[in-house]
Amino acid sequence: MNRPRINRRTLLKGLGSVTIGLPLLEEMMLNSATAAPSAEIPVRAFNVFFGLGIPAPLQSEGFRDVLEPLEPLTDKLLIMRNVDQVRCDASGINAHFDGASGAFTAEPPDGEAKSGGPSIDQVVRKTHYPQGLPQGMVPTLIGGTFFRRSRVSRYVHSYNADGTVASTMQEKPRDLFDRVFGTIGLAGGETDVRRQRLRRSVLDSVVDQYRFYTGPNSPLGAASKARVADHLDRIREFEQRAYEMKDSPKDGPQLPPRSQIAHGGPADPGGQGIDMKLDDLTAEWRLMADLYALAIQLDRVRFGSLTFLAAGERLRITGDYTYNDRLVYRFNDAKDLNASGDKGCSHEWWHKFNEKKKNTQLRAHAHMKMREVAYFLQRLDGPDSLEANGKSILENSMVSISTESGDGRHNDVKRELSGVFHAISGANGRFKTGQIMDVGAEGIDVYNTMLAAMGAEDRLGPKKREMRHVDKIRA
Amino acid sequence: MRSSRRRDMNWAALLAAVTSLLASLTAGSFDSLAEDSAGRVRTGLQVLYDFRDADGLLVKDRSGVGEPLDLKIENPRAVGRTPGALTVRGQTLIRSAGPAQKVIDAVKRSGAISIEAWVRPAKANQTGPARIVTLSKNGNERNFTLGHDGNRFDFRLRTTSTTTNGIPSLSSPGRSLTTKLIHVVYTRNRSGAARLYLDGQQRAQKRVRGSTSNWDGSYRLGIGNELSQDRLWLGTFHLVAVYSRDLSPNEVGQNFRAGADGETARIAQRDQKASHFETRVAPLLAQHCLECHDAATHEGGLDLSKKATALAGGDSGAAIVAGKPAASPLWEAIELDEMPKDRVPLSPEDKLVLRDWINSGATWSLDAIDPAVYTHDIRVAKNWVNRLTVNEYIDTVRAAVDVDIAKEARRILPPDLRADGFSNTAYNLNVDLKHVEAYAQLAEIIVSRMDTVTFAARFSRSRKLTDDNMRDLISKMGKWLLRGPLDEREVVIYRGISTTVASAGGDFRQAVGYFVEAMLQSPRFIYRMENQRGDGTAWPVDQYELASRLSYIIWGGPPDEALIRSADAGELDLDATRAHAKRMLQDPRAVKRSHQFASEWLNLNRLQNLRPNRDKFPDWDDALAADMRAETLAYFHEVVWEQQRPLADLLNAQVTHVTPRLARHYGLAAPPDAPADQPVRLDLSQTASRGGLLTQGSVLTVGGDEASMVTRGLLVLHDLLRGVVKDPPPCVEVKTVPSKPGLTQRGIAEARLANQACGGCHIKFEPLAFGLEKFDGLGVYHDVDEHGNRLREDGEILFPGEAQTVAYRTSAELMDLLAGSDRVRQSITWKLTQFALGRPLVAADARTVNRIHHAAQQAGGTYAGLITAIVVSDLVQMTRTEH
Repeated sequence: MNRPRINRRTLLKGLGSVTIGLPLLEEMMLNSATAAPSAEIPVRAFNVFFGLGIPAPLQSEGFRDVLEPLEPLTDKLLIMRNVDQVRCDASGINAHFDGASGAFTAEPPDGEAKSGGPSIDQVVRKTHYPQGLPQGMVPTLIGGTFFRRSRVSRYVHSYNADGTVASTMQEKPRDLFDRVFGTIGLAGGETDVRRQRLRRSVLDSVVDQYRFYTGPNSPLGAASKARVADHLDRIREFEQRAYEMKDSPKDGPQLPPRSQIAHGGPADPGGQGIDMKLDDLTAEWRLMADLYALAIQLDRVRFGSLTFLAAGERLRITGDYTYNDRLVYRFNDAKDLNASGDKGCSHEWWHKFNEKKKNTQLRAHAHMKMREVAYFLQRLDGPDSLEANGKSILENSMVSISTESGDGRHNDVKRELSGVFHAISGANGRFKTGQIMDVGAEGIDVYNTMLAAMGAEDRLGPKKREMRHVDKIRA
Repeated sequence: MRSSRRRDMNWAALLAAVTSLLASLTAGSFDSLAEDSAGRVRTGLQVLYDFRDADGLLVKDRSGVGEPLDLKIENPRAVGRTPGALTVRGQTLIRSAGPAQKVIDAVKRSGAISIEAWVRPAKANQTGPARIVTLSKNGNERNFTLGHDGNRFDFRLRTTSTTTNGIPSLSSPGRSLTTKLIHVVYTRNRSGAARLYLDGQQRAQKRVRGSTSNWDGSYRLGIGNELSQDRLWLGTFHLVAVYSRDLSPNEVGQNFRAGADGETARIAQRDQKASHFETRVAPLLAQHCLECHDAATHEGGLDLSKKATALAGGDSGAAIVAGKPAASPLWEAIELDEMPKDRVPLSPEDKLVLRDWINSGATWSLDAIDPAVYTHDIRVAKNWVNRLTVNEYIDTVRAAVDVDIAKEARRILPPDLRADGFSNTAYNLNVDLKHVEAYAQLAEIIVSRMDTVTFAARFSRSRKLTDDNMRDLISKMGKWLLRGPLDEREVVIYRGISTTVASAGGDFRQAVGYFVEAMLQSPRFIYRMENQRGDGTAWPVDQYELASRLSYIIWGGPPDEALIRSADAGELDLDATRAHAKRMLQDPRAVKRSHQFASEWLNLNRLQNLRPNRDKFPDWDDALAADMRAETLAYFHEVVWEQQRPLADLLNAQVTHVTPRLARHYGLAAPPDAPADQPVRLDLSQTASRGGLLTQGSVLTVGGDEASMVTRGLLVLHDLLRGVVKDPPPCVEVKTVPSKPGLTQRGIAEARLANQACGGCHIKFEPLAFGLEKFDGLGVYHDVDEHGNRLREDGEILFPGEAQTVAYRTSAELMDLLAGSDRVRQSITWKLTQFALGRPLVAADARTVNRIHHAAQQAGGTYAGLITAIVVSDLVQMTRTEH
């Protein structure tokens, strides 16, 4: 991390159809942010989620088909087959919701917007940064390109110890950019020292009050106190950005362009799905992936999750899908399915999966998802991501990749939540890489083994449960 | 409708059974605090001694609240014990081992108290006063003492206005105390009104000013003597209880009528086996067994949802043999993972629970198990502080400083996301940097729109920046903006701002502006802060907390001056709560809040995002979506507010409100002079096809382009009937089959019902949508579909928990059945209660919600009746504390 960070701006040029500018932030000119010495490789953990999953039988085909886009990264990843998430089944709910909640937590949901427990990235974060991340860092960054949003765990994949979401989802590239790189503009420009001093006194009073409610004499119970403590952390971050970070110079690059695709309520019209051009989808996602990767490279983020398409996503995708200049498939879901609304969405290909048939459309969609997941991983594995130990960020971090289901037909819980695709990066030599492994273990044991390797003492799942180590994934 | 009435009674009995036995759930749940079935009041109870043990050195505290505060008998030879009575015959001391901490903490916090005793004095004239019940140190220092002085009772209470000896005291009339068994209760509310009741009748009263904040935390509780052993009382105790609130006259009468024979204590001490069944076994059966073995499905002839049928067994005989797991086919199937069939097996821990339950006699304490009660895990109901939603923030700002910040707040603040059906679910109201930034920005904008000097003049005439004036202003202004008094720590914090202003050469206007900015960002403004600390049990909320609960439940905004005044005076008891609720429900803010509820319950915001297939529905646009939303809200308004009808009438009221555009869409005739974008009222009494929420486009569109019977049926099942149904079982084709000439969606659905693999579950919800088949995906009524197939509207409805379906011939009959169903009425109660509390309801709430429901129905089942029942319930009056 000794090269001037300014070079990283080039990362975002010429990618897809979008070119964005970045503000010239002070830390971009420094060797590192306020965190670790340059020779020290920080502990990082990220969860990468993709919606709808890869049916277990297709995972056994190696890199011949849907996993093909991961092949260039094969030396950096351990692909795990036969991971069982059946314990995440929540009665009366199909795997889009409970399987997605179980990804990285090994717990079924607990309410529509809560997981049953923490996600692995947050356990690692609490282990290595019990007093919080160094100043200036975003404690947890959650981003994603997704549309279906009826339940939060369809798209959020970082959870606190109490199962609540660890941070707010940033679903537009511009929002994620603001969250990571934005400075806070206060009225009056804060050039007036007197005014700035007065405003500081207001903020000080606010901080004092929040401090009381998180202190030993707080009248609040545990859950409320944790919520208010989180609020206090955000205020401190606000303070730091409002008063300590310098504004970007006038000739500096500007914010990313506004998102052109649907967000919020219009992105999920009553579960009926929306029309989506493949190029629009990938352009937005890649911008999001670039920004997220840049945040990691600049050491502004060490923990969080990134989602490419929600669990049970419903899109009617159109457009030519090519890979390495090869036309893989010409998407037109509604036409292929001869249906409109939710029944015309690519989701239906997962319902129609049949091991004895070709599953052409499903394969093409899953292949495309792997291409986009690989896109993000490659951002962490390029020349700009080399670190002091000569390895890339991808190699040095615990990057976990998973999804909600090992079968999309909703007709057998056991099969639906067995064989859920998982992959993990090496985490600086902690895990084996370079192979596709038939793990044959429960997700909870895989995750807890990962946590043990990362030095965490906390474990997921019931305290009484005896952990079954999956040592074969450890290096 | 005979079958309907029978069904209602069954469910009422079911819920009554469930809820009465849920009373013994874990300490701290509201169930443990409600009245017991003997009729004694338990709300606010801190200690209860029923003297049931006939021997031993301890008098056990059987309140079930917090750590038991047992009393030790120092000289057992001086007392006589029989079941239900303890007689003091000679010099002794009967006291707690340590300070009566839970009593002291609770009363210091509530400012209110009730001391109750059933006693029989051995002598009429005892002096000292002789100590009957005392929380004290010696003859001169006490928190309270119930004494016997001559031929009257004498009660001393320490407050900031009485002496440390609790003087002046309150005495009963002369000759009111004899050697007869007598019931005595002293109550004192937060505002100082003290009353003494004998045998259920008020016999004395006076004002005891001051607060209980000066109570000494080191005193022990004793009976029959002063702690210094120099004020012996001779006589027999049958019951002693202390509450941390003032019992109302009705409640005193209620306890008097419950008697002195120890019945209360016996009932309070629940059968542990029954409790175990309800908290551990019933949820397992609901989750794993009832899908196939309930009243409707009863595969193998086995219905495990009801006690009688479960114990009778199935086609193969008994399923459960008490005390013999090995001889119980139910256990055998579960142990071998044969059951649940094609579902995830029970965990070893759950299996153990079932085996032990059978082993220990298979106590089945419920008449029936309602799976809906167990839908949510207790964890979702933890104490998450309520952050103001965007709507609440806007209304709070408007009420507090008279600034309309709606436009900016909706633009700047991140939206609140729905969780478990509502966007005010506290656990999901988290914060991000953007919130903090938004609150700061909005505070600045708000202050820029205020005349801060005029605003400050409401609280203080002085404009000086001196310490005294600033403190006075901060205290008064802060109390208004932050919805309750500030403590010294807070005053000092805000005083720091004015000091900075003054030292920077600023003026009064600036100081007030910065005060307001700071207060608008305070946790006490952004959150509804409450004291959640205690002993792990439920405690009464304080007066200001209650005022806020009332105002946010009824208005979605902060308490007004009248509520704050009542809180100041400590007068917010149940009667005052009712009176305020009645007043507040007349306010337009209550109407607005109810519309928010309707909008969230029916998810009306979904409409603005609806994008049906253009080829199939070319006329759809945002304006039509807005019309549908407006129709439902205007309809809700008429039924709930103008006609003040029972909420269940929303299912079949024969009226609607449509714009000319929506009328054309529906095929209805709108008045020719109707304004283009304004809904006009249409009488539907002659329109057989429409009438009721389920016939409105806002709800019907939930079925999507294909008017899915599955989706519509599930909506009715989940949102109107609180039904529970699981995923499709294995190997079931889940693809949607399109209709075609000769095959309607009804035909397809009936084929599914006839399929053994599907019908068991689909029978529970698809027929609910049969009556809606004639409405297409956008709610237009047709007699034939696009293929020329004739459509039907007859069907059968199976109410959750019932074995028999009820037939209907038309859509209108279906609406009537729903509107007449107590299950629907209950579901509305549960929904509105959830919205009021800002959290999903859990099994531990069931009993209280049942009481709310009955109270609301007695009040006519209206919105006002239901809201009133909610705000006077323990779910609002109490808070669950944590250590």
